[in-house]
Amino acid sequence: MKTFEFSPRLLTTALILMLGLIIAAVPRNTTTPFKLTAEQILDEIKSGTQYLEPEQIAQMIVEKEPTLQLIDVRPVTEFEKFSLPGAINIPIDNILAAEFVDVLNQDIMTNVFYSNGTTQANEAWMLVRQLGYENNYVLRGGLNYWAEAILNPERPASTSPDDELARYDFRMGASQALGGGGLAPSESKPATTTPIPKPKPQGKKKAVAGGCS
Amino acid sequence: MEKKTVKPYMNPYLAGVLLGLVVLAANVISGRGLGASGAVKSAIVASVETIAPAHAEAKTFYNSYGEAHGSNPLNSWLVYQMLGVVVGGFLSGIISHRLTWKVEHSPKITSRRRLIFALAGGILFGLGSQFGRGCTSGSALSGMAVLSLGGFISMAAIFGTAFMLAYFFRKLWI
Amino acid sequence: MGPLVVYEVITENTNLFLAFFIGIGFGFVLEQAGFSSSRKLAGMFYGYDTVVLKVFFTGAITAMLGLLFFSLFGWVDLSLIYVNETFVHSAILGGVVMGAGFIMGGFCPGTSFCGAAIGKIDAWVFIIGLFIGVFIFGEGYSLWEDVYKAGFLGSPRISEYFGISEGLTVLLVIIAAAFMFWGGEWAEKKFPREDY
Repeated sequence: MKTFEFSPRLLTTALILMLGLIIAAVPRNTTTPFKLTAEQILDEIKSGTQYLEPEQIAQMIVEKEPTLQLIDVRPVTEFEKFSLPGAINIPIDNILAAEFVDVLNQDIMTNVFYSNGTTQANEAWMLVRQLGYENNYVLRGGLNYWAEAILNPERPASTSPDDELARYDFRMGASQALGGGGLAPSESKPATTTPIPKPKPQGKKKAVAGGCS
Repeated sequence: MEKKTVKPYMNPYLAGVLLGLVVLAANVISGRGLGASGAVKSAIVASVETIAPAHAEAKTFYNSYGEAHGSNPLNSWLVYQMLGVVVGGFLSGIISHRLTWKVEHSPKITSRRRLIFALAGGILFGLGSQFGRGCTSGSALSGMAVLSLGGFISMAAIFGTAFMLAYFFRKLWI
Repeated sequence: MGPLVVYEVITENTNLFLAFFIGIGFGFVLEQAGFSSSRKLAGMFYGYDTVVLKVFFTGAITAMLGLLFFSLFGWVDLSLIYVNETFVHSAILGGVVMGAGFIMGGFCPGTSFCGAAIGKIDAWVFIIGLFIGVFIFGEGYSLWEDVYKAGFLGSPRISEYFGISEGLTVLLVIIAAAFMFWGGEWAEKKFPREDY
């Protein structure tokens, strides 16, 4: 090391030090890289994959499907007047609040948004979908259609095809199980605002298990 | 067998960079670091479960492993990785003509003594790697690569202790 | 976009398949670096050969830098990468026991498999020891379960723990490593030993 020249080792040291300086100087990249593009969301909207049918949901409620999480996106006042069994309330104004990220961005529960019609629920779905969250769906037809189809099903004409009659029978059953019969009866549910369910869901993409243990 | 000249080892810094790239690849592909002791643990759990299932059922250690890793302990990332390590080491040995059966030790001690200490060292390392939740590869190297606090602690504890005890075991090596 | 397996670019089975190749790379580099030789490894602690220090830290630094730059370019999501959990008490205890095992056995688990692959009998014996050690831990698990689970800090990164940025942490490690390499090369000159 008497003559000063750029030996490979000195060069490498300099290079690594420089990389270290660069990485120390730039801020950490915190953008979540799995956002969806507008085109991808449009594709999903066109194919309507975000919708779940009321019958499907009704069945899940009746069977107390543990992975079902109904999310009421209407304002608190409306939520307190009537809500579906087991639903939690995340008014659409609050949908981006940090406290709900764990509920919306997870891979365990099936989240189903609903509102009176489908507009607000769809808005909520688009917002979270755009963030790349999965397992979020929209109740087709919203509460209006729910009341019509599930709570007060109309008996089809006896000339109707059998499967329509079968659907009617199912709806009648569900209606009874879900306390139907009258239009939108007040579910006597404790109307606490926004009970956040168990904290367990983690990020949609879970870090891999690793290590040596 | 013809005696070819043993090739010198790779420049340590170059080897280090390559090792770093392997760790990087493991993280980018599989989202995890390397490991060695985990594979030994898998093998132990699998053996105990096969040989003495009732015993494995009763002990928390084997039990909780099964819960965390699914039915077959040997079907794990680390086990496949360790198989690769053996193959990789063997290939490197072929390329550099280093394949020989030998016991390596200081000229001052017998092979027998070396093997006894190797066994004792192995037992301690096996035990320690479970407490440390990983060995030098799994906890120290891979942990440091992701800047894990535990990785740095493991690294400091392993090398610190080895340095402190080095004097007492110098006859084994020099 | 990585980690590939999390983003389902590759399936779980492909992941296991690739683990094998990652292992080949790992074993190959370890052997090429001379980690299959216990006297070379132990040389670290007597100053006559600091290859462990050099390879270990160069490797760690390369991986750290790589991960941070990959994250910067959006190629990998750091939050999805496994960060080892930190249980302070058992990490220190384990480290101390491993350190003792290292100086006595001359290998660590990864290098012992590597040494065994090229026919080092001491490495084979070390591996037998490893199995016994893990077995003892499993059998006596209830005795040390409390220690094993004490001092849990979650999975903190050292940068979070000290409240500095990750990049700065890496820079500090690089500077520390540069000094250690310099010290190591000085030691190699001071305690030369060529006959192993």
